[in-house]
Amino acid sequence: MSEANTTQTEDASQRTTDDAGGAIGGSAGRTTTGESEERIEDHWRNYEFAGEPKLSVEDLDVYYGEEQALQSVSMEIPEESVTALIGPSGCGKSTYLRCLNRMNDRIKSARVDGSVQLEGEELYQDGVDLVELRRRIGMVFQSPNPFPKSIRDNVSYGPRKHGDISTGLLPKLLGRDDTEQREELVERCLRQAALWEEVQDRLDDNALGLSGGQQQRLCIARCLAVDPDVILMDEPASALDPIATAKIEDLIEELAEEYTVVVVTHNMQQAARISDQTAVFLTGGELVEYGETDQVFEDPESQRVEDYISGKFG
Amino acid sequence: MTDLQYRIRDYRQRTAPGAIAIHVLGAALFVAAAGLFWRGSGLFGVPLLGMVGLTAVGWRTHQGETARGLTLLAAALTVSVMLLIVGYLLVHARDAFEHMGVELLWMLEGPFWEPPSPEGNYSLTPLLVGTALTTVIATMVAAPIGIAGAVFLSEMAPERVRVVVKPGVELLAGIPSITYGFVGLVLVNQYFYAQFQTPTIASYFAAGLMIGLMSLPTVVSVAEDALSAVPESMKSGSLAMGSTEWQTTKSVTIPAAFSGVSAAVMLGVGRAMGETMAATVMLSHSKGIPVPFFDVFSRYGETLTTVIAQEAPNATGGMHESALFAAGVVLFVSVMSLSIGAQYVEWRMYRKLGGES
Amino acid sequence: MSTIDDTGVVAGVARLRNATTLPTMALSLLTVLMGWLVLFQQVGETNEYLGLPIVELFAISVLVQGLAIGGLGVASYVGALQSTSDRTAGLFTGAFVGSLWAVVTAVLVTVVAGLRMVYWPGSSVWIFSGIPVPLGILLSLLGGVVGFLAVVLPREDLGATLPVSALLVPLGMFALVGPLTVPWTYEPGWTTVVFPGSEVLPFAFFVTSLLGCWTLAKISEGFGATGRQRGAYYLIGVSVAATLGVLGMLVYFIVDKGFATLSTGASFDGWGGRLVLPVVDWAVPWFDANLPFVFNQPGGLFVDVPGVWPAILGTIWLVIGALVVAVPLGIGAAIFLTEYVERGRITQLVEVVTNGLWSTPSIVFGLFGMAFLMPRLSNGGRSMIVAQLVLGFMLLPLVLITSREAIISVPDEYRDASAALGVSRWKTVRSVVLPAAMPGVITGVILGVGRIAGETAPLLLVFGGQPYPSTKSPVSGGKGILESFSFSLQPPFITNSALTERGTALPFQLYTSITAGSSPKPEVFSLSEFGWGTALVLLLVVMGFFAIGVASRLYFRRKLNYE
Repeated sequence: MSEANTTQTEDASQRTTDDAGGAIGGSAGRTTTGESEERIEDHWRNYEFAGEPKLSVEDLDVYYGEEQALQSVSMEIPEESVTALIGPSGCGKSTYLRCLNRMNDRIKSARVDGSVQLEGEELYQDGVDLVELRRRIGMVFQSPNPFPKSIRDNVSYGPRKHGDISTGLLPKLLGRDDTEQREELVERCLRQAALWEEVQDRLDDNALGLSGGQQQRLCIARCLAVDPDVILMDEPASALDPIATAKIEDLIEELAEEYTVVVVTHNMQQAARISDQTAVFLTGGELVEYGETDQVFEDPESQRVEDYISGKFG
Repeated sequence: MTDLQYRIRDYRQRTAPGAIAIHVLGAALFVAAAGLFWRGSGLFGVPLLGMVGLTAVGWRTHQGETARGLTLLAAALTVSVMLLIVGYLLVHARDAFEHMGVELLWMLEGPFWEPPSPEGNYSLTPLLVGTALTTVIATMVAAPIGIAGAVFLSEMAPERVRVVVKPGVELLAGIPSITYGFVGLVLVNQYFYAQFQTPTIASYFAAGLMIGLMSLPTVVSVAEDALSAVPESMKSGSLAMGSTEWQTTKSVTIPAAFSGVSAAVMLGVGRAMGETMAATVMLSHSKGIPVPFFDVFSRYGETLTTVIAQEAPNATGGMHESALFAAGVVLFVSVMSLSIGAQYVEWRMYRKLGGES
Repeated sequence: MSTIDDTGVVAGVARLRNATTLPTMALSLLTVLMGWLVLFQQVGETNEYLGLPIVELFAISVLVQGLAIGGLGVASYVGALQSTSDRTAGLFTGAFVGSLWAVVTAVLVTVVAGLRMVYWPGSSVWIFSGIPVPLGILLSLLGGVVGFLAVVLPREDLGATLPVSALLVPLGMFALVGPLTVPWTYEPGWTTVVFPGSEVLPFAFFVTSLLGCWTLAKISEGFGATGRQRGAYYLIGVSVAATLGVLGMLVYFIVDKGFATLSTGASFDGWGGRLVLPVVDWAVPWFDANLPFVFNQPGGLFVDVPGVWPAILGTIWLVIGALVVAVPLGIGAAIFLTEYVERGRITQLVEVVTNGLWSTPSIVFGLFGMAFLMPRLSNGGRSMIVAQLVLGFMLLPLVLITSREAIISVPDEYRDASAALGVSRWKTVRSVVLPAAMPGVITGVILGVGRIAGETAPLLLVFGGQPYPSTKSPVSGGKGILESFSFSLQPPFITNSALTERGTALPFQLYTSITAGSSPKPEVFSLSEFGWGTALVLLLVVMGFFAIGVASRLYFRRKLNYE
């Protein structure tokens, strides 16, 4: 009974974490593990860049129960740039992204081996403060998920929870009210997220009344408000229409001037448009190629990546 | 009017003549049966039998239309049961309202209740105080612990605990109130009598505790449903910003489900207020206003529900019975308004989660 | 760990989950548990452990907790312990601790100063520019406010600890050296009731240790957001466990005491017996066992062990009658409201009224049955048929609500698909919508039946007869309901004498065993023994319905998820 239950939850969790992988992911995964020699053969050359890496990942393996979702992935992510993660459904790119801020801890059956370092500091070790970690590595989800609060409260949520800003009855009584600071913060973040013009007159409205694209930009503003170093985005535009998508893409490029952005996308054109470097995951949770975007798209080293990019599979 | 005419024309165009005949005949027979029943005639069975026969014929010839007529009849009967209940309560309570006026609800000096005299006082004030006391105590037990239980079940408990406890709580919600009453009478009342020297072997406090315990599973169950209805993505959004799970629960989940949770509490209060058997068994049935009015250990013990349960079986009609119906009316109105209030806040919650501010 | 830079993601503070907090937390959890057990009379308040009376052990425990909490708080404030303390301990902590302060002040005010708590004849009043102010309430409010401010004003590590410590340490001390001992009593003045130390002290220790446990949990994570999380988890977890314990104990009492009655004279002689099914009177193979309390009459010359069989039959008949009334009406109305009427004002109104009706107190239904149905159906007397109708009306809203929900949740695509194939609306409802909605309806009905079966209040008004009817059927006269139908050519053509007579049912039987004043056979069962037995049988019947309902819902839900 309990055994049956476990497998069931594992399946479910896998489905929720990764894109609905389905048949392609499963079957192709088996092929790659079968041809492990090929994997070594077309392993990507190390991507060199100037400066210290913001995030460095080494030999990262992730298992959901028995199933391996990522196979010893290693990559270094430079700061203040956009890194795109592309690949077919079920290739583990979302899993990978969620390892970077340890959101996978939420899934009971997930097991993570290997190392992820933020500015040289290991994230997978005892004593890591998840609060501090997620404060420095923010995340934007696939479908917009604003809180059912006012727009203002959505943006100021993080700083309030972290005690950076206190408003309300008690702080007012104690004379520590930060209302002005909050207003500044809300305006700054909404401007950064290119949403200020649209919502400045209705900051007290429920955020769930915004359109999908606006909601997603609000989520980005909310993420910016805690002043992270890194912003992880999990297919941030997949639930949006083309116009909203274009706005989000512009925004991502702007954000890269100040933040390290890692974005998972399904859409190769999007990756080509917005990213500085691209990592290609293929089924089975394998990082097949990682390099400058132009180079990956125009002259990939791996035959499989070329096939994937030219649309032969995936 | 034009709308109605249009509808009638539409109905006649769309419906076969045979079906129309069945509808008309069925309606006539039903009205006849209802009329006979209303007048207390035992003959109401005759048109009823006619309807059964008609239905059998209709089912063979025009099944769809007959079914439609039958479902309409069912809906009409359901609604009329509701109307009848309200109407009958009001009609029977009228005498008491006329006889007592405002003093029915507000009277500070006894004697409060003088059955079976038709001229005597029948004031609900002590019963209102009793209902208020037991309800407040029950709410103080059921609301905080119920909400805590719901939060625990939906946000904290590991899956393994949850799958056992949640159905368990629902089972507990089904324990009949008379059982609680029996346990309360034999154990709880005795305990307070022996240890705290209550003036009688019954007290509002003990009854309130028991009623609170009884409505607790309802509150937990309904509040848990509301909390679980908050989408997981909202919680992830908060966690990904570095909030702790508890901050997420406190600042995202509970506010988002606030209406649902308060609806749960209101339902719990409604149940506590309408609770009859546990209170009937556990209270002393002596009517009076305690001094001070919040002395929950006094010798008095009667609520709106217990007075009906205790006295209606033996009431001999007249003013006494009417006063009991008046108690029923007050009870019905209070619980109904709680229920409507609960539905309103719940409706608002789902609208809010749906995106309208 | 401490070598890593403080701005890093690795926690810069040494978590305090260490030698100081862990044992103290274990101590406070143990105190909570023991306090609970004493409070619910499972452990005597004069028991001795380790050579000391349990109250003194409690006192020592609370004292230790208080000192540890205060010490750790100060240590964190002066920097001897690293912590991530917030600027304030927060409103909730403030309100919680503040209200405890108010209670303590109120007790002190009455005990020490002799003031009476309430503004009532005889209370101490302070006249403030002509307005009388009750001094006791004023002072205790003041105590509450001071406690609240003491929590919220200082930094968290002081605010969350010292006001708590100030409650725990004096309680421990006074309980240890007096006057707070078992013989101590408290007379609040507004009531004649006396609060004895033997009951108040375990309660006080329970509450304060819960408070201590909460605070220690916060300390162990170094305060801040994580500390509060841990604290909240402990506070909620322990309170929920304590409450579940109470409910569990209640069930245990019924099972324990009822079982003795239930098993009186019971025997089991293997298979090969026969059971005559109630209602239809069929004999089916059954084990040859004897369960007199279940299968016997409550009284009579030849009954050695009085039983509740007529009450069981009565309950079965009531449930059947209620189902016959409520199920067709409810489902029919649900179909009409969802399939034939546009969703709008009318359906919304019906929905609101139905929900209201579902929460209407059952006694109100009883009144209705008494006033409207009894004169029309049984010449003004209580009867089975009226009770069946009343319970049916009570069940009706639930059947309507659950059927409507189930029918609405059938996707419109099904209806469209069926309509696109040229199938008429009613045939679509019958062959597509209803089968898909059936699981929901069945579950709802079973859950409703569980509630109906245990319903007592309306039965007092419309059904209940003698306390212990001594005949086979639920009604007097010896004939069952099915045999009692008689037909005639005179109107009203069909009569059933059994349906128009009074009877008994399990919950009603339990009520009468409380109020009747004497047991049917005092030499076999005392009144309360008979009551416990009846309560257990009732519990089993009702829980049986609920268990089937909950299980069928789980089953259907799982089936739905897999497909």
